Amino acid sequence: MLRRFRLDEPESVKEASEILGRFGESAKIYAGGTELLLAMKEGLVHYERLVNIKKLGLNHVRRDNGVIKIGALCTHRQLETAPELQNSLPAFVKLEQYVANVRVRQVGTIGGNLCFAEPHADPGTLLMAVEAKMVAEKSSSKREIAAADFFVDAYETCLEADEVLTEIQVPAPAANSAIAYLKFGYLERPSVGVAVALALNDGKKTIGDIKIAVGCAGPAPKRVAEAEAMLKGKGADEAARNLPRAGEVAGRAAQAISDLHGSQEYKEHIVGVLLKRAFHSALSRC
Amino acid sequence: MRFEKEVEILATREKVWDFIWDVDRFIACVPGCKEAKTIEAGKRYSATMVEKVGPFKVEFPTTIEVLEREEMTRIKAQASGADNKIGSRMKIELDVRLREQDGKTLLGFAAGVDILGKLAALGHGIIKRKADQVLDEFAQAVKERLEGDS
Amino acid sequence: MSKAMSRRLDAQIIPVSFTLNGRLQEIEVEPHELLLDVVRERLGLTGAKRSCDVEVCGACTLLVDGRPVSACTTLAFEVRGRSVLTIEGLAENGKLHPLQDAFIEHGGFQCGFCTPGMILAAKALLDEIPNPTEDELKHFMHGNLCRCTGYKKIIESIMAAAKKMRRA
Repeated sequence: MLRRFRLDEPESVKEASEILGRFGESAKIYAGGTELLLAMKEGLVHYERLVNIKKLGLNHVRRDNGVIKIGALCTHRQLETAPELQNSLPAFVKLEQYVANVRVRQVGTIGGNLCFAEPHADPGTLLMAVEAKMVAEKSSSKREIAAADFFVDAYETCLEADEVLTEIQVPAPAANSAIAYLKFGYLERPSVGVAVALALNDGKKTIGDIKIAVGCAGPAPKRVAEAEAMLKGKGADEAARNLPRAGEVAGRAAQAISDLHGSQEYKEHIVGVLLKRAFHSALSRC
Repeated sequence: MRFEKEVEILATREKVWDFIWDVDRFIACVPGCKEAKTIEAGKRYSATMVEKVGPFKVEFPTTIEVLEREEMTRIKAQASGADNKIGSRMKIELDVRLREQDGKTLLGFAAGVDILGKLAALGHGIIKRKADQVLDEFAQAVKERLEGDS
Repeated sequence: MSKAMSRRLDAQIIPVSFTLNGRLQEIEVEPHELLLDVVRERLGLTGAKRSCDVEVCGACTLLVDGRPVSACTTLAFEVRGRSVLTIEGLAENGKLHPLQDAFIEHGGFQCGFCTPGMILAAKALLDEIPNPTEDELKHFMHGNLCRCTGYKKIIESIMAAAKKMRRA
C-alpha cells in the first residue's frame, strides 16, 4: 500500500515546473514510476504530490542534422525498438534491450532512469562516453547540461527542484567509429558497466579518439580521462598493450564500493576485464 | 561498519578536551546535527541527526550516553536513535582518544556504526560512504573550530 | 467479493473507464491505489499474485494494451482508456487458450503460483514474435521467475503453443 498523495497532471513543461517550484520537496515528478514507486512502497520517501508529466509528450526520437534527439519520456521499450536508433546508435539499442525486464522497459523512461540516478543503472554510463547533453527546462529558462556534469552522487543529479529533464541529445557518431557497452551482474541490477566510444583516425591506423566511462560499481558513472590518455593516438597494438594499466586506472576511477554486488577489489578487477573486451569490441566495428 | 579517523589539531590537549565537553559547539561540528541538549552533564546528551542521500532523508532523534571517561585522554560513548517515519534505527559506538605530540593534539575516533531497518535497503555501500563522509566532515570541522579560535 | 471503499471527504477521485477482459468497466480510484490491489481486492480477480512486490518476479504480470506490466508497481488510474487482460480473461467461452492447453499438456507448471503471469507474458511474446527462437523467448521471459519447474517445461509449453497458434 502506498500512502495517499495528490496527483497533478500538467499539460506543459512550464506548468509542471511551476508546481514543482511551489511545492518544493513535497512534490516529485512521476513518469513511469518504476523506481519512484518502489522507493515509496518501501516507505523510504513520501511525497504529498506526484506530478504526472506523461501528458507532456517528450517521447520523440529524431535526428536533427548531426544530433540525435531523444525525448526524456521515451520508454526503454521505445528506445529498444526505435528505427532511428538501430543504425545510428546500435550499442545504445542493445543497452536498452537489456535494462531490467520487459515489464520495466514497457513503462520505465530514459529520463526517469537518469534523474533517479540509481548507481546500479546502465544508460548514464554510455551517455557519458558519447558526451551526450541533457536538456533541462523550467518555467522561465532552458539549459543544456553535459553528461559529465549531470550525475553528482548516488541518487543525486545536478537538476534543480523545479527543473524537468526534457531531452537527451547525442552527437551522431562519426565515420570509422563505434561504441561498446558491456555490463556484468548477477543480481537484479548490474554490478559493473563500462562504455567505450572509439574512433579511428583517417588512415584507420591509430586511435583518433577514445572515450571511456565506468558505472554501476560506484556512486555515479565517471569518465576516465587518465585511461583515455593511455590509449588515444596510439596504434591498435600499442593501445591493446596498454589496456591492463588503463583497466587498473579505470577501476580506481570507478570509486567502487564494497556491497552485496561484490568487494571493491572485485569490481575494480571486473572494470579492467570489461574495458579490455569493450575496447576490442568497438575496435572491431570501426 | 567500522571507521577510524585521526586528525591533527594545532591546539593543546586541554583545549581540545574542553571543546569536546562544550556540547553546543562540539555538536555543531557534526554535519546534520542540531538541537543539542545536555540532559545530565558529563553523562547524557540528546541531539537530532538529519542526513540526506539524494531524495532519501532521515531524522534521528538521538540519545548520547558517555560510558567511560579518562581525563584528557579518552571518551567512550554510545549514541542511538530511531526514525519511525522510515522505520530505521541507528547505533553508534564511539571511542575518542587524545594524544599529545610536539605541542599538537592528535584526536582519534573509532566509530562502530549500525543502521537497521528500511534504510539498509539503500545498500550497505551507500550508507558506508555517507557515514564516512559525515565523520570526515566532523573531524575537519572540529579541527577548524579549534584552530580558528586562537 | 469486492469490499466497500471508505473514502475521506477530501479524497481525490479519478474516474477510470477501461476494458477488462473484453468488457467495459467503470470504477473510481484514488491516485495512490495500485492496479494489483484493485484487480485482486475490488474486482475479485486473484490470478495475478503479489510476490516480490518490486517488479522483479513477474507473478503480478497483467497485459495492458497487450503489453506486460507489473501490476504491483502500476498506479490503477494508469489504465484509464486502456484494455486490461488478466489470466481469467484468456479462455473464451470456456475454451482454453492454446497457451493454457500447452502448459497443461507439457507440464509447464507445478505449484501454479507464477503461472498466470507466465502465461500472460508468453501471450505478449507470441503476439509480438509468433515464431520466436529459444533465445528470443528466454530474453522476453527473463523477468518471469519460477521456483518449481527449472523453466525447461515452460519453454517447451510456449514453443508448442506457438507452433499450434501458427497453424491456426
